[in-house]
Amino acid sequence: MELAAANEDERPVLPWDQFSQWLHCVCVVTFDLELGQAMEFMYPTHIELSDVEKANICYLAFPDSNSGCMGDTQYWFRIRRNSLYRTNNKDTDYQCTKDCPVTLLKDETHYYGYVYFRQVRDKTLKRGYFQKSVVLLSSLPYFNFFKEISDIIAPEYFDNGVPCLEAACHDIDKWPSPIPGQILNLPLMGMVLHVRIPTKQDKPGTNVLDNTDKSPDRTPFSLSSIHEVDLYQNLSDVLPHIHLLWELVLIGEPIVVMAPSPTACSSTVLALVSCINPLRYCSDYRPYFTIHDSEFKEYTTKTQAPPSVILGVTNPFFTKTFQHWPHIVRVREVGLGNYGGSKPTLTPSDSKLKKSSAIKTLDPKSGIYTKYKQFLKKDKNFIKAFTKSLVENKTSKTHSALLRRHFLELTQSFIIPLERYLASLMPLQKCISPLKAPPTLKPFRPNDFIQTVENNGPQLTSGTRGDWIGLYRRFMRSANFEHWLERRKVEMEMKLVSLHMTALSETDLMAWCQDKSEVEVVDMILRIRQKISLVKSHKIDVSNITVDQLSEQVTNITKTLPLDLQEILLCTSRK
Amino acid sequence: MAAGPYNYSYIFKYIIIGDMGVGKSCLLHQFTEKKFMADCPHTIGVEFGTRIIEVSGQKIKLQIWDTAGQERFRAVTRSYYRGAAGALMVYDITRRSTYNHLSSWLTDARNLTNPNTVIFLIGNKGDLDGQRDVTYEEAKQFADENGLLFLEASAKTGDNVEDVFLETAKKIYQNIQDGSLDLNAAESGVQHKPANRPGQTLQNDQQPKEGCSC
Repeated sequence: MELAAANEDERPVLPWDQFSQWLHCVCVVTFDLELGQAMEFMYPTHIELSDVEKANICYLAFPDSNSGCMGDTQYWFRIRRNSLYRTNNKDTDYQCTKDCPVTLLKDETHYYGYVYFRQVRDKTLKRGYFQKSVVLLSSLPYFNFFKEISDIIAPEYFDNGVPCLEAACHDIDKWPSPIPGQILNLPLMGMVLHVRIPTKQDKPGTNVLDNTDKSPDRTPFSLSSIHEVDLYQNLSDVLPHIHLLWELVLIGEPIVVMAPSPTACSSTVLALVSCINPLRYCSDYRPYFTIHDSEFKEYTTKTQAPPSVILGVTNPFFTKTFQHWPHIVRVREVGLGNYGGSKPTLTPSDSKLKKSSAIKTLDPKSGIYTKYKQFLKKDKNFIKAFTKSLVENKTSKTHSALLRRHFLELTQSFIIPLERYLASLMPLQKCISPLKAPPTLKPFRPNDFIQTVENNGPQLTSGTRGDWIGLYRRFMRSANFEHWLERRKVEMEMKLVSLHMTALSETDLMAWCQDKSEVEVVDMILRIRQKISLVKSHKIDVSNITVDQLSEQVTNITKTLPLDLQEILLCTSRK
Repeated sequence: MAAGPYNYSYIFKYIIIGDMGVGKSCLLHQFTEKKFMADCPHTIGVEFGTRIIEVSGQKIKLQIWDTAGQERFRAVTRSYYRGAAGALMVYDITRRSTYNHLSSWLTDARNLTNPNTVIFLIGNKGDLDGQRDVTYEEAKQFADENGLLFLEASAKTGDNVEDVFLETAKKIYQNIQDGSLDLNAAESGVQHKPANRPGQTLQNDQQPKEGCSC
């Protein structure tokens, strides 16, 4: 750790280094009478985007049908990144990712667009309308946080022009790095924002930035969650089907969300993606998707089965395009849940799933169109508790927290048996022998796992009944599973390497090299060096004591070698 | 994965020798990383590279010593050669001087290694055929006369790079199999510390002495 700090001190912070930890750039997209949507400018000016990226940003920066979007509109989009992800500071990257929950990691293959669109009457303009968007582009999926940021920056820009953006970007360039677990004070346009990026050790549902925190320069602005959208508001139209939706998201089924506005479709997509927390949704998702998108053909082709993605759309044209899609979610405008005096409930009269043929008739009713048969039964206890909360007229925030906790418990009940089986694949401590290669994990065998579900399945922790095994089988074919397994395997293998290193550091290597030839001793030295370099590049976590002991061992066994060779090894270790 | 004590049963030591700038480090980099290193710094003294390969079903770890080509490092090279099972001798097909110096490199290799060390001659920069200064035939003849294996290769495109490292290993392994390379004798007189078990240069690590083998 001291080493990392020392490195950082040596490395000067260059202009835009800090900025680029948070944002890629700010884009202003305007409506050009001849070109249509066009990039007016990007800031900072040295930032590069490919032509495809620019075109996508331009189309996604405006609502598809803007008749209903007078005034200011905010929403999110996500696009594929086709320029390379570059990082120039490994140590900071490590600090930012070490304790970060997987759902909040920097996305190296996509950009998130945080849009603030303004459309107002302006008689001085040729068209009679002012139409412009400010888009914050970032690799960080901090949905609420950047929504707030754009809410501060964009109106200022519309009122006062480019210097506002420059000033805001300079403020951001002064921000500390987005390191999870710390309370970050972020100055922006005359105010200071307090945020805390959660860590994976946090107990879910707790809010560390509560009101007991009294820092002296406290301003009214502090966000309770940098990323979690309001589940209740965004799912209120489909409340009777939340368990079905949870299953669809978990196993990566293709879902399209149709809504009247980009705000409604994008926040619903984000609500869906977040309902399998702490698992990361690993297929593609587009909170807002248009017919101009570079992936339009790829995702709407009828020659193949629909891809495993979640798309949010507003253009009525999509009703036809997505006729063949297995799961269609229709929602109304956000916040209209209580509309018309009828409160959303879990068991309304029209709670039945709609036949997928009904979608063809442009049926404007909200709900889910699917033939999917749920694996699990609804959790009656939860429905009872939730209905009570609704009846008691608690706030939307309370409903939302209840929903989130329920999903979390459900997902955790689902993962625990997988984790338990995975732990059984770890070799025993006694199999780690310092002078041999570290033992390897036993392979994950789906059928072996399924056998454990019988006795140690989710029924131990969840009240939900049903065909859990069927659900696991589907899940094990999904990208979500693949990613989960891959990540856990890497973590466990690193754990093995670190245990092996510790064992090696406690071995008497001087005795070992008594009867070894030069080439073997050199091999041992090279191997230990390679392990130490893995520690230094933060790939494995072992104590400093172990590293020191190993370095000492290397020094000692080097001394058993002929003098000329010692010198050579000394030279190479300095490089 | 095989559950050997290490993940390999032999270690072969290779050295790469030849004039400055012929592409020794680039060949090594191409072999270990499968990438061409466009601007590679001068090697100071020696750099190590390792990669595990498979020959006739045996996992073999190559411990490759990439030496500095500069004349001023020539004096400290004795320990580079000691116990080498393979020597890759490199020249640049676009610079005749690097080819002309081969006999001096070969003398070092012969004097400082044992008679069974496999020497492989490599004409590097095969991608620059237009600037060729040494014909294939000429070098081939030199190799034949001196009993060397020979190939032209390109560290830039990767052409033949795998082959030279693998062919060398095959030849060494073959020498072990037919008994012409005596594991005991391989280092006698060179080894600093007398060893008390067979397999010095070429280590057979698969000895069931360390208890549990998972």
